Amino acid sequence: MKKISKLLVALIALVGLNSCGYNTMTEKEEAVNKAWSNVENQYQRRSDLIPNLVNTVKGYAQHEQTTLSAVLEARSKATQITVNAEDLTPEKLKEYQEAQGQVTSALGKLLAITEAYPDLKANENFKELQAQLEGTENRISVERRNFNEVVGDYNTYIRKFPQNIIAGLFGFDKRAYFEAEAGSEKAPTVEF
Amino acid sequence: MKKWLFIVLLLVLVCPAWSKRYKVEDVPMVHLQDETRYVSNPDGILSAQSVEAMDEVLRQLEARTGIETLVVAVEEIEDGDCFEFAYQLGKQNGVGKKEADNGLVILLVRGERCVQFVTGYGIEGNLPDAICKRIQERDMFPLLRQGKWDEGMLAGIKSVNTYLTDYDEWKSSDAAEENLEGLLIMVGGFALLVFAFLLFCFFVVLRQTKCPYCKKSGLQRSNSRLISRKNGIKTNEVIYTCKYCGHTVVRQEQEEDDNYTGFGGGTLGGPFVFGGGHGGSFHGGGFSGGSFGGGSFGGGGAGGRF
Repeated sequence: MKKISKLLVALIALVGLNSCGYNTMTEKEEAVNKAWSNVENQYQRRSDLIPNLVNTVKGYAQHEQTTLSAVLEARSKATQITVNAEDLTPEKLKEYQEAQGQVTSALGKLLAITEAYPDLKANENFKELQAQLEGTENRISVERRNFNEVVGDYNTYIRKFPQNIIAGLFGFDKRAYFEAEAGSEKAPTVEF
Repeated sequence: MKKWLFIVLLLVLVCPAWSKRYKVEDVPMVHLQDETRYVSNPDGILSAQSVEAMDEVLRQLEARTGIETLVVAVEEIEDGDCFEFAYQLGKQNGVGKKEADNGLVILLVRGERCVQFVTGYGIEGNLPDAICKRIQERDMFPLLRQGKWDEGMLAGIKSVNTYLTDYDEWKSSDAAEENLEGLLIMVGGFALLVFAFLLFCFFVVLRQTKCPYCKKSGLQRSNSRLISRKNGIKTNEVIYTCKYCGHTVVRQEQEEDDNYTGFGGGTLGGPFVFGGGHGGSFHGGGFSGGSFGGGSFGGGGAGGRF
């Protein structure tokens, strides 16, 4: 008799969990994690381009030390902040976003001063780096938007009834969004 | 009456110049009506002749590499953001095959004086951003700056085609080498298998002809007699005589009866084919609509103003 009742509980749990969307929740959560890693990849990609860019610019514009070191400094600060997909709290995401925003604005300044150096602008290596950087900024904005979409989907799902009960039981928490910063939401802030 | 006609005529003449600011969903997708066309030119910026030439190049590109391209040339776009517009064109129309994400969007907005390439996830490696930029700056912008829209766009599309086709050939020749290696291994393995099988047969035969008395392989079939014929199996009694010592061995051997026609067993065959039939589709001749495969984009590509 005990065995049967145990079995019954297990069966109810199985059906109940399924219909209350435990599995869907897991899938959606996984999608959020994936989207986050895509975002991180693109920021990483930008970060990888920076040393090369700085070196190229240095060869032509020695007098711009402050701008160059500002870029490197912002980069090293930003690389220190990594956020695990599992604990994407609004505070942590904000911190991450601010650090990356610093890099964006430092890069913007750097590229603005390159306008004054025609030799540098004609350099093939510099042109390619510029194209890659521009492409990366575009990719970042695409992945950020995609992340927000996926998070939105997940958040709405876990807050609906009856999923919210299951979500509470199994610790599916609401995830944070990227917020539009003044001017940084639109990707090509850096106009070449 | 004449005045009326004049006003209408004036409107017709003025309207095209009074250009529309396009939204992504307003851009006509000519490829969906006719799969051989890739260039959407609603404002008539490009001449019919050069549109045809571009279509031809892009048709070849798709035939060789499978890459689906969408070219759009318009006067004005709503937000003036060329990257965003090109990206949304690709995303909303699903340019590129779904499993390969090999879509490519080439956008010219004359009013913004911008050109934007957007590459699908799958061809970001084939056509890197830096190459997009180089093609634009070397082949397109000098012509576009002079207002040579046809020549500029055609030159760019040709360069893209050359680059992608070369890349594809280079990659597939690489793959062919790998294939050759694989083939060699396969042939070698097969030869080994055949050899082993032959060896096995040889031993079986050797065993069968081995005389139990003198241990030499000298048994030869000398006589046979049918003992039974049941359910399509013939049982023979076969007498083997050793050619070295004269020893005889009697074995019962069974084989399938070729003449057997009875119930049970046998295969039911016949010219019955169920379902099937000759379906087939009819192409109405002339045009058949194409489709985009639902590829996705990650923001690759490059753009610039001229």
